[in-house]
This record gives sequence, C-alpha cells and structure tokens, in this order.
Amino acid sequence: MKRALAYAIAVVASVFFLYPYLWMLVSSFRTTAAVLRDPLRWWPERFDLSGFASILQMGDLSLLRATVNSLAITGASTALAVLATALGAYAMTRCPRALAFRLLRYGFLVTMMYPYMLLVIPVYIVVYKLGLLGGYSGIVLFLAVGPIQFFLFEQFFRTLPAEVIEAATIDGAGEAAILFRVVLPMARPVVATVAIITFLLNWAQWFPVLVISTDSDTWTLPVALLNVNGELGTNFQGIMALAVVTTIPVALLFLAAQRQVMQGMTEGAVKG
Amino acid sequence: MASATLASPPPLVGGGWGEGWRLLRAWRRDSVFYLFAIPFAALTIVFGLWPIVLSVMTSFTASATALKSVPVYVGFANYTAILRDPLFFSSLGLTLLYAVLAVAANLGVALAYALLLDSPLLAGGRGFFKLAMFLPVVTPDVAGYVVWRWLYDQSFGALNAFLHLLGLPAFGGVASPATAMLAVLVAELWHHAGFYAVIFLANLAVCERALEEAADIDGARPWQKFCYVVLPQLRPAIVINLVYALIQFLKTFTVVVVMTKGGPSGATNFLSYYAYQFFDQARYGEATAMATVLFAIVLLMATAVYALGERGRV
Repeated sequence: MKRALAYAIAVVASVFFLYPYLWMLVSSFRTTAAVLRDPLRWWPERFDLSGFASILQMGDLSLLRATVNSLAITGASTALAVLATALGAYAMTRCPRALAFRLLRYGFLVTMMYPYMLLVIPVYIVVYKLGLLGGYSGIVLFLAVGPIQFFLFEQFFRTLPAEVIEAATIDGAGEAAILFRVVLPMARPVVATVAIITFLLNWAQWFPVLVISTDSDTWTLPVALLNVNGELGTNFQGIMALAVVTTIPVALLFLAAQRQVMQGMTEGAVKG
Repeated sequence: MASATLASPPPLVGGGWGEGWRLLRAWRRDSVFYLFAIPFAALTIVFGLWPIVLSVMTSFTASATALKSVPVYVGFANYTAILRDPLFFSSLGLTLLYAVLAVAANLGVALAYALLLDSPLLAGGRGFFKLAMFLPVVTPDVAGYVVWRWLYDQSFGALNAFLHLLGLPAFGGVASPATAMLAVLVAELWHHAGFYAVIFLANLAVCERALEEAADIDGARPWQKFCYVVLPQLRPAIVINLVYALIQFLKTFTVVVVMTKGGPSGATNFLSYYAYQFFDQARYGEATAMATVLFAIVLLMATAVYALGERGRV
C-alpha cells in the first residue's frame, strides 16, 4: 500500500516533468485549428508538417542559418571554454601560492557571484568598446567562462597525485610536455564531462546572443524562438515546431550522457 | 604540491637580497604557468571584472554620455532617481516576495522528490524518475517557458482543457494578475527543481544509514527520525541549495521575458526585468544603478545564508 502510494507520487511528478515535451511534440504536428478544437490529444490525427515548413524562413533569418549559428557558437565557445579553463585551472593548482593566481581566483569568484543577467548589460558596453558588437567573436568569447567548468577542472587537478608530475620532471620533461603528454591524457574523462556540460549550457544561452547581436544574422535557435513567440499574429504550430528543433539536440545529448551530466553538474555545484 | 617541493627554503640571512632572489626564482619557476593561465585570465578580466567595474562606474554617469569616451559623472543622481521611483520599490518588494516563495517551493519539492527516490519503497524505476526530473534542467529555458506559456493559454492550453475535463474552474495563468506569479513560479519549478534534487540526492547517498537504524531501534517516529536524524545530515546540501536558489530567484528574468513581459499590470515586474527595460531605453545610468543595488542584495543574502550555515555547523 505504502509502495503503491510512493509510485503514484513518483509517476505524477514525472508526468509534470515530461508532459510538456509530449504536448510540444504532438502540437508541432497538429494544425492550430486542430489544437484549438481538442488541446489534449495524445497523438496527432495525422502528421501535419506545415508548422515545420512555416519556420524554414523567419523574416530575414532562415532555420538553417539559426541552426548553423547555434552549432557554431555553441561549439566554438565550448572548445574555447574547455581549453582556456583547463589551462587556467591547471596553472592555478600547480602554483596555488602565487599572488597573481590568488587574485585571479578571487576575481573569478566575484564575477561568478554577479547576477548573470545584470552582467550582460555592462558586457554590451565592453563589447561595444572592443568593437565586437554584431559579430560572432564577442558572443563566443563571452560564453567561454563559467563556474562549473572551472570547479570541475580545479577539483580534478587537485586530486592529481604529485608523484606523476615528479616522475615526469625527473625524466627531464619540460612543463609543456608534462601538461600535454602526461596530465591532459589523464584528464580525458573530466575534459569530456566539461565539454558536454558546457555544450548543454551554452546551447540554451539567449540573452548574451541577443544583446551582442545587431541583427538576426547571428541569432541562435533560442533567440529565434523567442522572437517568433513574441510576434503578433500567432503561428502556434510554428512556435511548437521551433521549440522542438531547439530542444531535441540537447535532449538527445543529455540522454546519451546522463550519468556524466548529472554527476558533473552536482560536483561542479558542490565545490562552488 | 609538486611545485612546492622544487622551491628551496627561504634564506636565513640577508633579508633584502635573499628576498629578491627568492622572488626571482619563484618568478622563473612559475613563469610557464603564467603563460598557461593567460587565456583564462584574459577572459575573466575582459568579460567578468571589467564589465562589473564599468557597470558600477556607469551607474554614476549621465545615461546619454555613458557610451562616450569621456562620460559625464553625476554622482549619486541615478541612485536618488531610482529611490524616488515608487515603481522601483514595488518591483523590489515583488522580487523579494517571489524569491522567498520560489526558494521555498523549489527546495521543498526537490527535497521531497529526492527523499522519495532515495527511499527503499521504490523497487525499480529510480533511473527513469531521476531522468524525468533532470531533463527540464538541460532543456533550453526559452523553449521550456514558451511551451508553458501556451500550456496556460485559455484557448490552446492543455492545462485548462484538463481542468475543464475534471469539472474544475479554469486557471487564469499568466493572463490574470492574481495568478501570474504562481504561473511563473510553477514554470520555474519545472525547470530548476531537478537541479536542487540531484544535490540532495548526492548528500543522501553519503548519509549514515546506521543512525537511522539506531533511531528505529530506539522507537523513533518517522517524523522524529526525519527531523533529528536525516535533516541535520542534509545540512551541506541545504546550505548549497539555499545559496544557489536565492541567487537564481532574486534575478528571475528569462521566464518573465518569455511569458509575461512584467505584466499583467506589473504583477511579475521583477527587478532584473525592470532594470532591463531601462537598459532597453538606453537609460544606462539608472539601469546600472538598479543592477548595482540588486547585486548588493544578492551578495548580502547569499553571504548571510552561507555564514549562518557555516556557523551552525560546529
């Protein structure tokens, strides 16, 4: 009896978490009129693709362009984040007492405590001063720093046994060789975890992209979705179709790497 | 650390010279690491520290000159302007009220769900229930909130169709000032609760089971066991989640942009959205003044919670 109740609660909660996905998927294949008639269907009457067709071109922005932008901006910022953060965290754990590094770590922590939404506004001013407004580079650079990435790397490098580095030093390896031939190969699992988590987080980013963009040429899928959702004259089916396109890639990536993602995000948060 | 073993002990005599040598040697030893850290340091400074400094500086300038190379400084004029704005105070009040409600709701639901998934009552399916709860966390928030906005819709929405089916009264959702905050809260709960729940779960995994068994043997009631045995052991997760959730819900923004635009009639006009509206009208001075005030509040509350959590540990 108690067990049945526990399962009942877990199932109700799961329906709360998962039903929006089902409704989004089903609605993207049903005409707006059909949804108005009966919003609760579990399965489309027939698979109507006009919603997807209607978002192939959104004003000046094509769906292809938005998708390529999303992949390029997310991919580039992820690669940069992994590289810069791994090197930075490694250097800082090797020389924990260097004054410059202690200051840097402190500054980084302050940055991460600043409410993100409010940081974007002054970043607009910085990007403007650097002359990067409207381009990809400003967006990519801004998306390349994050707390979870730093804490995961720092934690890994701190647990690295000192003998590994000593042995390599005795063998006469320089610091660069130690890093690239000894440490980074050992760090492969944490690099993969950080890369996946960064991809998931940066794919969802919309506010920095919108603020740093000067026109729709550099918009990603979430920004396009926000824009379509805000337009007058509702293309409900198209909105649902675009929400599907925005969600599916990261949902699949998460399902493929679920343990790594959940564990990594927990560890990154707990250390913070 | 390996690098520490390479350093020679500080010289005992000749303070000035010895000190100079030591610094030089430390610099030579560390220089390659400074090279490694350049990209990270540059990103942190240019896209983190500089914007914060600039933001605080901008809050002391006249908006029209904020982007000029030589801005005109106006002292505290922007601060006195927002302090004279009654909308600022109602927005601040709404933000605080919402943050308290959202933190309580999210942590309550997350804790309950984590305890359920951790309990021996569930035989199988834990993996699935955990996955269901965490999928919204990695779903782009814009997509999630767009779907919720339409789920609440009076004519399209599945929610009201379902309530109608059960013979229950319709839910006003984001269309009614009375229910808009609740609607926003539920959508944010959907997106965030899974994150807090996995942190509770990680903490539950390292809890001492023997203590619970001992409590059972001593004849403790389930409620007593929870309050005096389980909850104290969850202190680390509670502190972490409180800090994260406070920071999260004090700056609630995306859900407002997607679902309500601060409305209806200001019912969800939280501070970060109100500040953004000023930014959007190129009133940079007032916008950054509000941002600085909100930052101070977030910093104060987060540090206070953290300090209280640490002190209670003893």
